[in-house]
Amino acid sequence: MYLDVRGNKTYAATGGKDFDPALPTVMFVHGSGLDHRSWALQTRWFAYNGYSVLAPDLPGHSLSAGKALQSIEDMGAWLADFIRASGAERVHAVGHSQGFLDVLELASQAPGLLKSITGVGTAGAIPVNPALIDAARNSAGDAAEMLLMWGFGPDAQYGISAVPGMQPIAIGRQIMASNPLYEDLVACANYANGGEAAKSIDLPSQMILARKDRLTPLKAGMAFAEALGARVTVIDRYGHMLPIEAPRQTLEKLRELIGSLENGG
Amino acid sequence: MSRSSYLKPDTVALHSGYVPESDHGSRAVPVYQTTSYVFESVSDGSSLFNVEQGGHIYSRITNPTVAVLEQRIAALEGGSGAICTASGMSALFTVFITLCSAGDHMISATQIYGSTATLLKHTIKRLGIDCTFIPINDEKALREAIQPNTKMVFCESIGNPGLEIANVPGISTIAHENGIPLVVDATFATPSLCRPIDHGADIVVHSVTKWMGGHGIAIGGAIVDGGQFDWQQSGRFPELTEPYAPFHGIRFWEEFGPSALAMKMRAESMRDVGAAMSPHNAFLILQGIETLNLRMKQHVGNARALLEWLQQQEAVTWTNYPDMESNPSHELAASLFPDGAGSMLCFGVVGGRAGGAAFIDSLQLASNLANVGDARTLVLHPASTTHSRLTVADMQAAGISEDMIRVSVGIEDIADIKSDFKRGFNAAQRVAEAG
Repeated sequence: MYLDVRGNKTYAATGGKDFDPALPTVMFVHGSGLDHRSWALQTRWFAYNGYSVLAPDLPGHSLSAGKALQSIEDMGAWLADFIRASGAERVHAVGHSQGFLDVLELASQAPGLLKSITGVGTAGAIPVNPALIDAARNSAGDAAEMLLMWGFGPDAQYGISAVPGMQPIAIGRQIMASNPLYEDLVACANYANGGEAAKSIDLPSQMILARKDRLTPLKAGMAFAEALGARVTVIDRYGHMLPIEAPRQTLEKLRELIGSLENGG
Repeated sequence: MSRSSYLKPDTVALHSGYVPESDHGSRAVPVYQTTSYVFESVSDGSSLFNVEQGGHIYSRITNPTVAVLEQRIAALEGGSGAICTASGMSALFTVFITLCSAGDHMISATQIYGSTATLLKHTIKRLGIDCTFIPINDEKALREAIQPNTKMVFCESIGNPGLEIANVPGISTIAHENGIPLVVDATFATPSLCRPIDHGADIVVHSVTKWMGGHGIAIGGAIVDGGQFDWQQSGRFPELTEPYAPFHGIRFWEEFGPSALAMKMRAESMRDVGAAMSPHNAFLILQGIETLNLRMKQHVGNARALLEWLQQQEAVTWTNYPDMESNPSHELAASLFPDGAGSMLCFGVVGGRAGGAAFIDSLQLASNLANVGDARTLVLHPASTTHSRLTVADMQAAGISEDMIRVSVGIEDIADIKSDFKRGFNAAQRVAEAG
């Protein structure tokens, strides 16, 4: 569906069903240069099993209009505006990589809009190699190649796909190369408020981490999970792109936490 | 490097799509000879049917062995995904009916495989889909043929049997200016020699029966979704951008983006038409693909050596190979096929039609049959076989003459191929001298 957020036409995937703000809502936030399609294998399950789903494309990404936001802090504020525009009261927020930094800021700035937070393949800070930022400045395509080479774990590098017949690297490359990757990477590199945000967050939280993550190493994710007081799951043999590489395992952990909270657990 | 993998092509051909499975550690890709797959629970089955998760339901739609082949071919071509089908013709039919509905229109090069021409002229027409045929690479004709309801432009990267080279970059530019995808049948080249997606094609089709398999023991087809075409921006494809009723109103473009077309073909054509590749055939094709690059080097080397030798034979009246220097397509071929424009060549022999027949009937090593791309050398007389359903005028338009001998040059020792052909030329000479 399309919403008006800050005067811009904004796309949000709803998992194939009409959005109903009366239902418990799960919001999925994509990572750098990506879009709602990162969550294709999680959103439909929630939408067809008693939840409403919101998976926005951040401004300037894929199907959303507007200019790319310049800081993680502004992305967090934008997410708050987005939730209000959707009509949802409180959401379970799930963020992949940079998307989790956005969720941290959202939780810090507007905790009343949230029921829980989950980080997938992420940490409390995501330092970015200056060479990657330089590459992205000149060519989103070149930077996408670097990110995908490092981002996908060994199975995906050997052409393994959770969806029969598909090639996730080519799909990711196509999406990233046409999105404002440079702005996203700069925002990640500049973000230093994760630690402070964590101190202020008093929400049920979890981190779903990948043992073979080379972009946000497991060690960093584990350390931040401890600071946040989050429950932690480590998924073996996969890399940074967990929602795409290990969709079933990611979905299972999301269902466990969100389901338990919605069922009074 | 392909757009789908950071492995080199030789490695992709051996490894992509499969890592040794966890139960038994089988190094080779197992043959999953099964029709169906047990659901973990009712809810698990339901979520598979509703595309909430990836996985296998029924082998008409997906199969683990076939999926390995699909992912390997997608990686070799640099596509976002691939669908394997029962044959090359069913791959083409799947593409045509996915992109076109009754009342739609497509444009095709005239210089294409005879059965494809028949499909476009007669079978597809019965479904209410019109096709305008234009000379390959005629940009003016292409521009003039485009209509508001045109849904695709089709060509073969190397035409069968005339061996015309499609100017894929030029054709795709015009197609894209009009919001139309370019579909390329790349059977004669394989991704070892040319990846059409790198040159602007949006969808690539193969008869994997041919060089991809190489052994001549299994029929199969493949469709590769390049993932680059913007179906929304085109405005011509509501089937991909608007709700699709059979899947709760799913919008393929919104949900799947670069893999929207492949997902649509899987969800619709494989389900409804069911032209599925068998897992055993997928296994056999995989054995061939493992050595694709090695074989193509030998195919091309032999084709070039045979061509040079043919041009010195008195019994040969003319020769044709796409990148021979006297061919008008030489520069284009050299640009698109830097490692060689395949292993098909054509020539005429003295004695006309009867001389051609005598040539073929006297061969011992080369096989006279209706296939190409076997590791063994194959010969055929198109006018009396593959293109016999065409009128003389249509044959001429397709670049075929009555005396044409089509050769699919194999990977035997070139000296033995020449020796066999020498026997054939002696027979043709006798016919010519008697006549």
